[in-house]
Amino acid sequence: MHAFAVSGKGGTGKTVLSALIIRELTKKGVVLAIDADADSNLPDVLGAEVEGTVGDIREELLQKKCKLPPEYTKDVWLEGKTYEILSENNGFDLLVMGRPEGPECYCMVNNLLRRIIDMLSQNYDYTVIDSEAGLEHISRRTTIGVQDMVVVADGSQQSFDTASRIKNLADELGARFDHIYLVLNKTKTPDIKRAEMTGLTFLGLIPYDPDIEKACYNGVPLPEHSKAAASVHELLEKILQR
Amino acid sequence: MAKEFPVEIGVVYEGERIRKDNMRVELGGTKVPYKAELVQSRAMDEIEDGKITVKGRDLKDMEEGGRYPFVILVEVAGKEVEKDLEAVIERRIHDFSNYVEGFMHVNQRYDIWCRVSKKSFQKGFDSFTYLGQALIKLFKAELPIIEKIQITFMTEEEDVKPFAENAREIYEARDARARALSDDDVDEFYGCVLCQSFAPTHACAITPDRISLCGAINWFDGRAAARVDPKGPNFKIEKGELIDPEKFEYTGINKMIKEKSLGENERFWLHTMFGYPHTSCGCFEAIAFFIPEVDGIGICHRNYHGETVIGVPFSTLATQTGGGKQLDGFLGIAIEYMRSPKFFKTDGGWNRIVWMPKFIKEQVQDAIPEELYDKIATEEITTDINELKQFLEEKEHPVTERWVEEAVLAAEELEVIPMSEAFAGTRLILKNARIHADKVIIRRR
Repeated sequence: MHAFAVSGKGGTGKTVLSALIIRELTKKGVVLAIDADADSNLPDVLGAEVEGTVGDIREELLQKKCKLPPEYTKDVWLEGKTYEILSENNGFDLLVMGRPEGPECYCMVNNLLRRIIDMLSQNYDYTVIDSEAGLEHISRRTTIGVQDMVVVADGSQQSFDTASRIKNLADELGARFDHIYLVLNKTKTPDIKRAEMTGLTFLGLIPYDPDIEKACYNGVPLPEHSKAAASVHELLEKILQR
Repeated sequence: MAKEFPVEIGVVYEGERIRKDNMRVELGGTKVPYKAELVQSRAMDEIEDGKITVKGRDLKDMEEGGRYPFVILVEVAGKEVEKDLEAVIERRIHDFSNYVEGFMHVNQRYDIWCRVSKKSFQKGFDSFTYLGQALIKLFKAELPIIEKIQITFMTEEEDVKPFAENAREIYEARDARARALSDDDVDEFYGCVLCQSFAPTHACAITPDRISLCGAINWFDGRAAARVDPKGPNFKIEKGELIDPEKFEYTGINKMIKEKSLGENERFWLHTMFGYPHTSCGCFEAIAFFIPEVDGIGICHRNYHGETVIGVPFSTLATQTGGGKQLDGFLGIAIEYMRSPKFFKTDGGWNRIVWMPKFIKEQVQDAIPEELYDKIATEEITTDINELKQFLEEKEHPVTERWVEEAVLAAEELEVIPMSEAFAGTRLILKNARIHADKVIIRRR
């Protein structure tokens, strides 16, 4: 199983990039898509129906933890629910992490979720995690070894700063990524020098694409073919050849 | 086995998810109203060892992509097979059926959800008889106490529905027995060190009468987790000897806590908040705190944002209580622990509880002895310690009986000779004094 994570500052287009990577990878194998952004948009962009999130079942378990029959243990309950909320689509399954944690204790439930999600991911050729910049889900709810982290920037200084911070955080988390790439997205005047100064490996450009913008504007799934999809195809080939 | 077994069996297939695209049929699951799995212990002569029955349509007669009702009934016999083991054996259906290549089993009891893969079906896995053979082989290999075993599968609603309804009653009876399980009934407890990242010297001792502080892991969860990953954060504790039946001190728990706290703590008294109480991580659902002024115990839960009767909010109490320290008079607990028959038993149990927020008082009303319910104060009655004292006196709360034992020295005028050299020669005169003391020493000069 080859795992990718996509991260970056909000608004740079990481969800669109995740979706394009997922679409591209379904041509090569079966993909597990994980939407780890609390503001979950990946299902809409992919056109996938979702019946629940890991956050929902996590809260449900904490609410009813003492009402489950004593011998109906929580690991089995949680595994079943995780399988139930997994959205099954053509070529990929999608798991949505959903809302952030509340004030309760999540030690037990996160420990169980790590095992369930790690085991689940072993069933796929590829895993793609659409991750928020804090990388919280990667550190707390899964120990999937992510080989390639792709950070998106849109040319703004803030997006480069976020990229550098993600790299530092990743180093602190114990360098679980083999490569950390930077991708420049939808910039009109790409400044590759600044991209290289972030310390991340610059992977390439995804041009501004009016078809993508239109799909996002209308809130419909991304088009099957697009200029952006073609460049994601090339970037992925670069990653997979390494 | 007459024919060669069509698919592989092995632990490697555990966790195998069969995707909708690769699915031959689905058995049970949320979209099918009736399904169940059940283990029943029988007398030796009631079982035909190795018999597999398929009642209803077999796999090969099912439509591709179809969903069907499903029952797995496992009947076992053996000299050591007892009724109480049925649930433990039943749990293994999940493990063992998942060992079969191309068979997915999720959930348990009335929720089971299975899938058979197209690939395994094509390889010849086209009858439930194969599943039965695999289960029988694994059950006998892994659980040698099973001397005889027979398995029945059902796939028609007319059979599955009445079976599932009847099974529900069996599960409920089993739950009632499980809820009544006490520390005295078992030989093993479980430990948990999930919170050591916050509280490195803390470890939870989880027993039938004592759920983890976070309220998330009961004795059954501990047992399940320890079996899946014995070297993981949940592990078995040999109960050992009960050293003190009043303080509930067990050699096994002492050994565990000494080891897991790296020598920081050496003893736990299980059901008390004094002496050598259990430690607290940071994840507890509620805090029990001793109120010396009334010799009683107050309780405050995490979501209560006001001040407690001792003038501080939950957050302040939590800083004091957490971190794996053994602290006389402060203890993190799970709300469910209040339902335990051993709830602070050493300290007097509910007879010692004097104050708690209305929200949890109502939540655990079923556990509070009826005659005590109105004697326990809430924030609506008071958050002032003097008023609490008055309230307890008026309601004749059982803690007031402890008060008479307290030494009260009352005098209109009292001469006190300070003991310290620094005060030599001075005299202290207290007028209209009432002095409360745990101990009064009067020495002849």
